[in-house]
Amino acid sequence: MLRASGLKKSYLSGDRRIEVLGGVDLAVMAGESVCIRGESGSGKSTLLNLLAGLDAPDEGLVEWEGTEATADRRARHLGMVFQSFYLIPELDALQNVLMAARMLGVPGAAERKRAAELLARVGLAERTSHLPNQLSGGERQRVAVARALMNAPRLVLADEPTGNLDERTGDAVVDLLLGVCRETGTALVLVTHNAAHAAKAGRALFLHGGRFA
Amino acid sequence: MPWYLYLALKQLFPTGRRFPFFTAISILGVALGVALLVVSTSVMAGFGHEIRRMIVDTQGDVQVRADGLVADSAGLAATVAKVPGVVASTRFAAGLVQVRFGDKRLYPTLQGVDIEHINGVIPLDSYLRRATLDDLDDDSVFLGIKLYDLLGASIGESIDVFSPMLLDDSRADVVTLPRSLKIRGVLEIGHQALDESTLLVTMRTMQDIYKLGGATKGLNLKLADNEDPDAAARRINAVLPPGVHAASWLTNNQDFLSILQLEKNMIFILLLFIVIVAGFSVTSSLLISVVRKTREIGLLGALGANPRQVAACFCFQGLIIGLGGTVAGLALGLGTLHYRNAIITVFTKLTASREAMDRFYQFSQLPSWTTTSDLVLIVSCSVVISTLAGLLPAWRAAKLKPVEALRSE
Repeated sequence: MLRASGLKKSYLSGDRRIEVLGGVDLAVMAGESVCIRGESGSGKSTLLNLLAGLDAPDEGLVEWEGTEATADRRARHLGMVFQSFYLIPELDALQNVLMAARMLGVPGAAERKRAAELLARVGLAERTSHLPNQLSGGERQRVAVARALMNAPRLVLADEPTGNLDERTGDAVVDLLLGVCRETGTALVLVTHNAAHAAKAGRALFLHGGRFA
Repeated sequence: MPWYLYLALKQLFPTGRRFPFFTAISILGVALGVALLVVSTSVMAGFGHEIRRMIVDTQGDVQVRADGLVADSAGLAATVAKVPGVVASTRFAAGLVQVRFGDKRLYPTLQGVDIEHINGVIPLDSYLRRATLDDLDDDSVFLGIKLYDLLGASIGESIDVFSPMLLDDSRADVVTLPRSLKIRGVLEIGHQALDESTLLVTMRTMQDIYKLGGATKGLNLKLADNEDPDAAARRINAVLPPGVHAASWLTNNQDFLSILQLEKNMIFILLLFIVIVAGFSVTSSLLISVVRKTREIGLLGALGANPRQVAACFCFQGLIIGLGGTVAGLALGLGTLHYRNAIITVFTKLTASREAMDRFYQFSQLPSWTTTSDLVLIVSCSVVISTLAGLLPAWRAAKLKPVEALRSE
């Protein structure tokens, strides 16, 4: 479903070029959950951005089902969850979830129903009309999970989704993410520091020095 | 609606917030500029319209003059009456005189009225106060209302009129007495200069005082509605005898009308800068918004937005502010125009400047003439400037790379 081969990425820091990824290969099968762990600065987020097509590799190739990642394909086939939630503050929870559907066209009754169902699935049925600043950190991340699943993506990329949450809330969010992806047959790539969370995924990889150890 | 328009509206008018302060300030800036443009162009157009109306009402649509005097006015009238588009004509003659009432002496313009035909060309009855045209005979006079006030005379009293011809008589050792005329009424044109300097008598009295015999200075003509005065003047000139010329009111007052238009255009351009300044304020607000929402812009990229759609989101914000400001500005401007005379009355009372206003601005009421073309021009300029104001922020937002935007602090 997702195939990355020979991904290299480096950044300039002053006069020095720092290599972040030194030739990473990764394949994710449909419905599979993969956890990527690694130390801070090991290139986990960079790898996720390359997999999402948000950034271009210096070398290597990312393919989603055999074709190149584009913005339109990202909207249709990919859901993303971030450490900092990134909810739009002017929109309530339901509108934030529907925002993903808006990228593909004007949402109709079916999309609204699905957004409401997703919010109910993540335990926020009573908070659909709340603005992000009226929600707790864990609730915001659950809204972000619902948004990532709105367009029924084939793949969800989650970049340290528990980084801004306390341990108990973080566990709940990861369980939710894994559970929903398992139910819907959605592939999941989860980047985390947490070994316990990694253990819950189907496959765990460790990124060290720009390569999988 | 497309997501970028939806989000533009939501960012300007967020869910759950009753009063979007930044949006309101931006809209107010544009609205003030538009309102000022509407008020100033309408008032300037109003002055121009009043002056044009006054010119046509006192001179007719076309004036026929001879190099000297017109001896056969009736024949000339019959000739021009055959020209298509000419619906009426009236003879005219005018000249400066000295008027004496008690110890006051003034120097207005004496105008001879062709009583039988004047109302076909000039709506004189509508300007007369305390009299009708039937009250004017060879021994009476109508005074402009300001002239009447300046002399301090009353209806029924007599004034003495001295013609410049008295000078010729005195050179010939002939003593000519001034003509005594009884005041039968006043006329109020609404233009200060004319109301201070107009004296109306019958054509016979005018001919007598100016020693014209049976001659006149020419004809004032009324054209059919929607007739082009310049085209009509050309047709009339084609049938006139040598030494007699027809000119439209537009040609006769060309320089004056050009100055009026130039003044209106200059005021429009100067006040347009207020809208431009408001546009810069919109740019500034939206640029701040781009900086504040950098991570949201990154998120939009992650959700699948392309740079053009992100740019459209900010461009639409400029457009929406422009549309909102323009609508509010039109309402404010037209409302101000509706109550302009009440506002002027309050202002002149507070500043004790009513007399100065009347004298300086010539009109007893502040005129206003709002044309569709002026409104279309104002609306177009305002909307275009506001949309352009959104371009720079839109470009900045579109340039942001999602990865860098998401990482920004």
